[in-house]
Amino acid sequence: MPETIPTPTTMKVKLKVKRFDPADSGGKTWWQEYEVDIHPDSTVLDSLIEVREQNDGTLAMRCACRASICGSCGMKVNGSAKLVCKTRVIDVAPNGEQLTIEPMGNQHVVRDLVVSLDTFFNQINRVEPFLQPDFVPEQGEYTASNASMENLLTSMNCIMCGCCVSDCTVLEVDANFIGPAALAKAWRFTEDPRDGKREERLKTLNDEDGGMWDCTRCMKCVDVCPKGVAPMDRIMELREAAIAAGNTNTSGYRHTESFYNSVKKNGRLDETRLAIDSAGWTNIPRLLDLAPIGIAAMRKGKLPPLMPHKSEDHQKVKDLYKSVEDEA
Amino acid sequence: MYEHDVLIIGGGLAGLRAAVEVTRAGADVAVISKVHPVRSHSNAAQGGINAPLTDRGDDWEGHAYDTIKGSDFLADQDAVEVMSTEAGEAVLELERMGVIFSRGEDGKLGTRAFGGQKVARTFFVGAITGSAILHVLFEQSLKLGLNVYEEWFVTKLIIEDGVCRGVVAIDLKSGEMHTIKAKAVIMAAGGAGRVFEPSTNALICTGDGLSLAYQAGVPLMDMEMIQYHPTTLARTGILMSEAARGEGAHLLNAAGERFMEKTAPDYMELASRDVVSRAEQTEIDEGRGIDGNVLLDLRHLGRDFIEQRLGYLQEVSVEFLGIDMAEQPVPVQPGMHYIMGGIKTDVNGATNVPGLYAAGECANVSVHGANRLGANSLLDTVVFGRRSGAHAVEYIKSVGAHSSAQEDLTSEKARLQALLDRPRGERVATIRDDMARGMTKGIGVFRDQASMEGALENLKNVKSRMGGFSIENKGKVFNTDLMFGLELEFMIDCADAVVAGAMTRKESRGAHFRTDITERDDKNWLKHTLMYKDDEAENGVRVETSDVNITKWEPVKRVY
Amino acid sequence: MKYAFYPGCVARGGAPELYDSALAVMERLGIEHVELTKAACTGAGVLQEKNLKMGDILNVRTFAMAEQMGLPIMVLCSTCQGVMSQANHRVKRDPEYLAEVNKHLAAEGLEYKGTTSIKHLLWALIEDIGLEKLKETFTRELKGVAMAPFYGCYMVRPTDALEFKANPTRETSIEDLIEAVGGTVTDFAGKTACCGFPILFINQANSMKMVANHTGTAKDLGADAMVTPCPLCHLNLDGYQPKARKQVRGDKADLPVIHVPQLIGLAMGMSEKALGLQKHIVSTKELVRKAEALPTKV
Repeated sequence: MPETIPTPTTMKVKLKVKRFDPADSGGKTWWQEYEVDIHPDSTVLDSLIEVREQNDGTLAMRCACRASICGSCGMKVNGSAKLVCKTRVIDVAPNGEQLTIEPMGNQHVVRDLVVSLDTFFNQINRVEPFLQPDFVPEQGEYTASNASMENLLTSMNCIMCGCCVSDCTVLEVDANFIGPAALAKAWRFTEDPRDGKREERLKTLNDEDGGMWDCTRCMKCVDVCPKGVAPMDRIMELREAAIAAGNTNTSGYRHTESFYNSVKKNGRLDETRLAIDSAGWTNIPRLLDLAPIGIAAMRKGKLPPLMPHKSEDHQKVKDLYKSVEDEA
Repeated sequence: MYEHDVLIIGGGLAGLRAAVEVTRAGADVAVISKVHPVRSHSNAAQGGINAPLTDRGDDWEGHAYDTIKGSDFLADQDAVEVMSTEAGEAVLELERMGVIFSRGEDGKLGTRAFGGQKVARTFFVGAITGSAILHVLFEQSLKLGLNVYEEWFVTKLIIEDGVCRGVVAIDLKSGEMHTIKAKAVIMAAGGAGRVFEPSTNALICTGDGLSLAYQAGVPLMDMEMIQYHPTTLARTGILMSEAARGEGAHLLNAAGERFMEKTAPDYMELASRDVVSRAEQTEIDEGRGIDGNVLLDLRHLGRDFIEQRLGYLQEVSVEFLGIDMAEQPVPVQPGMHYIMGGIKTDVNGATNVPGLYAAGECANVSVHGANRLGANSLLDTVVFGRRSGAHAVEYIKSVGAHSSAQEDLTSEKARLQALLDRPRGERVATIRDDMARGMTKGIGVFRDQASMEGALENLKNVKSRMGGFSIENKGKVFNTDLMFGLELEFMIDCADAVVAGAMTRKESRGAHFRTDITERDDKNWLKHTLMYKDDEAENGVRVETSDVNITKWEPVKRVY
Repeated sequence: MKYAFYPGCVARGGAPELYDSALAVMERLGIEHVELTKAACTGAGVLQEKNLKMGDILNVRTFAMAEQMGLPIMVLCSTCQGVMSQANHRVKRDPEYLAEVNKHLAAEGLEYKGTTSIKHLLWALIEDIGLEKLKETFTRELKGVAMAPFYGCYMVRPTDALEFKANPTRETSIEDLIEAVGGTVTDFAGKTACCGFPILFINQANSMKMVANHTGTAKDLGADAMVTPCPLCHLNLDGYQPKARKQVRGDKADLPVIHVPQLIGLAMGMSEKALGLQKHIVSTKELVRKAEALPTKV
């Protein structure tokens, strides 16, 4: 009879944590390795708390509810921002691999895994994140459909953990970008039937430097958000709404419009036309800016044809557009 | 120079609601919180907020009676009347601020059923009501430009000639200590869940406010009233809202029986929380549980319904235990959740120390008495948060200049430095664990003389070790290690008061259930226990009692 | 294996070397394919900003065409992959929505039943043909050639629409390929970040920073080339590298960026011309020289 192997009651977790102490290290960071034994179903936060309580009391981090509702414990695990209270160790280190733990990105590090919340909340503040109604009922509540309130749950689920801001690829190169969290929050107000400033909000975020058009559509925020807010999807909806509301003054709009029309006309994308449309036919500096790349491409024999390729039987695509546009 | 008219300790629902009120009244106010306001534990409240809307056929006396009955008649009825009459406007006001409450067919606020009430009067946002309200109050605070001392830890109240004049606090980000003077201080620092283990509470719920007031000479009232929530998720202790039961979920034992039939045939799963927790514990103790749990069954509600109305619960169940609630029942057990006891205040949040107010979970008006109804805590925070704010504004008109004393800072700095300088000793976490496990063991769902004496002995042992713990982190910036040591000291105060109250009350009432004295004794014990910090007294706590305020409702036997 | 081949717009436009090298590789491997010449552009996520539903309809039309042919779709572009996968995911999860979409397709006699799969050439090679079989066609081992992978956002996010759970090799597909050809992987944090192409015409400064950061970092870490499965990434990382590097780092564009079929072609011993490597903005001469200096297998 083969011996039964008892199920382990503990699991070894190996962590490599990025440390930083402004007072101590002259601005330098260093890596510290830890190993703890904990319950096999534990989360990354459980293992960090074990480190802090039994191993190294100097490790600084934020955590509170342990139930993914307070938003305190965002940090990078193996390079990607996560809410560590709901990240199970076996999911990120199935074979006992060492986990690399770092503070969230794009935010100033205060100490070890603690980042300053200023970046995040300054962004939030930029969108005037409070209800601005046209009128207030003298008695009772606003009337609104349940569907309209449930629609807002997507944004209300945001616990302001900062994971999206941490991993945003635009914030990595441009601190002026208003960021995914703020835009998702702004979306909530444009969708709230009680808010009276929809047009203004859309226009501001449309016109603003670092506003809705600066998102590069990389989906990192959708990927890392622990609450399903999907900020990029909200940003796309803001763009759709801004266009529908008549905001046609951005190169982002021109880009989208050109693409849409190109496919309508040709079934395919006319890249050269797209580049020129996006710049703007009368925007001489921008057009001149495009020239070198156009010339280089031409010399290499890869300038897209000036008479664009059309897909076979592209009339069908035109008909399809008509049927959709008629329906709207 | 840090000076304000009103300083509010705690940035949760009670604190932010008070801040809004004070700002509207035109006084200068600031909130001081050891975490960013949106991290406050208010965000963990899930199910909803009660309010009788009298213009829609509900009647406030119905809510008041349900609350008083739920409290096992320990609640002060004048306070409950205030809460029930102000509830409607309090909730409607939140909606007008932007809370995305669920709606009925008519586009007006919709309700769900909740424990201890036959009328559905609980207004909600999915299963994230606390978070949804907290975030909107935070938005309002941004709109009003509220000054927040974010991540500042209060170590002491400044009491001068018996009057509260401000606080001493550490700015965690720099480690620097400061005095903040205020003409009035509102304590809204939340509960003390971490005094028990396990608990649904966040790691930050360490009874700071309770201890600070206690040290300042304010009595803590009815501290033995500890609420064990019936449905906390197995192994993790995470709260699974009463809303599940409100929406129709069943509680089953190992044999698949809805065991609530035995003790609460009328209200079943929606009996008051203490009744349900005891029923569950009995099933578990008598061998009809599964690995120390009972089952919460939502399957019959259907997937779509669960995802729409109870989305957060499904998220927790799947993420933390890998259980899909639409397919399988969820294992749950009673878990420490809320402390009905707290800083004694009147209906305006005023304590016996002029200039010091309290509101929210840290306060005890008393509206919850010996057991709190679900969805009454959120109501408590906004009603009494508002009232404290309003009253504080009136009070400060009679206060002259700010305090000029500086010695608080010097002595506090020395005290903290002494902690940092201690030689290598025991870890704070070890002492805390020992204390908390002992408290749950001795002051649990069921308790008796022996178990409580055990808790007392354990606490004595723990206290004897308090002089020997050391702080490993000697640095200044974000020294959470030091903070944990200070929080442990706060927790000990709370534990002292809980044990003293529990051993004093010689009856069973609400959440204080003694298996050696199972009956309620209105003749001798229709009273509040009041615990005062007193080094001369036995175990450092002097216990007094006071009468319960009865207006309309004579105490009767509580049957669900 | 036979596929409904969807080359996408850029492979026929600004990156013709991708089309040519892909066809050459597929021929060498004997992969049968029928080009979906009637299929429209996927919208690349841009069209979807104006009208998400329109984008979904265009893509579902393509799926229906392939479904009629009974063939899985093969694409050459990360963006096509991602946009199509997301559209597929949306309609498969929501039968009501799919019915709405199909309503518009009825006029053309098309109806999507939800059975089409979409695979990038790289995934098809790893999952359907297998790296071992692929290696049999190699005539040289690219030993000592260091390559930095650059996936392109749409190929790695969101993981549910891209079915990563069921196909875990997708997470490391380029790295696996680099190892299969005998090269070494230059790992760097930006490999799954954005190349900046989507905002090229909107915020060029930021776009250039991204290009400079990724190509510069990979070069600093010793890469001989960057490999990408996305021609849109290629347009930016190759086409705009000179401008970006000069503007942001003050140095020269010195990191050639090649397409996946070009890497495979090099391992198969194909010529620079056959693979269109001379069409790149950033010279591939050094890379080609290094590859051609390696011993050929007999």
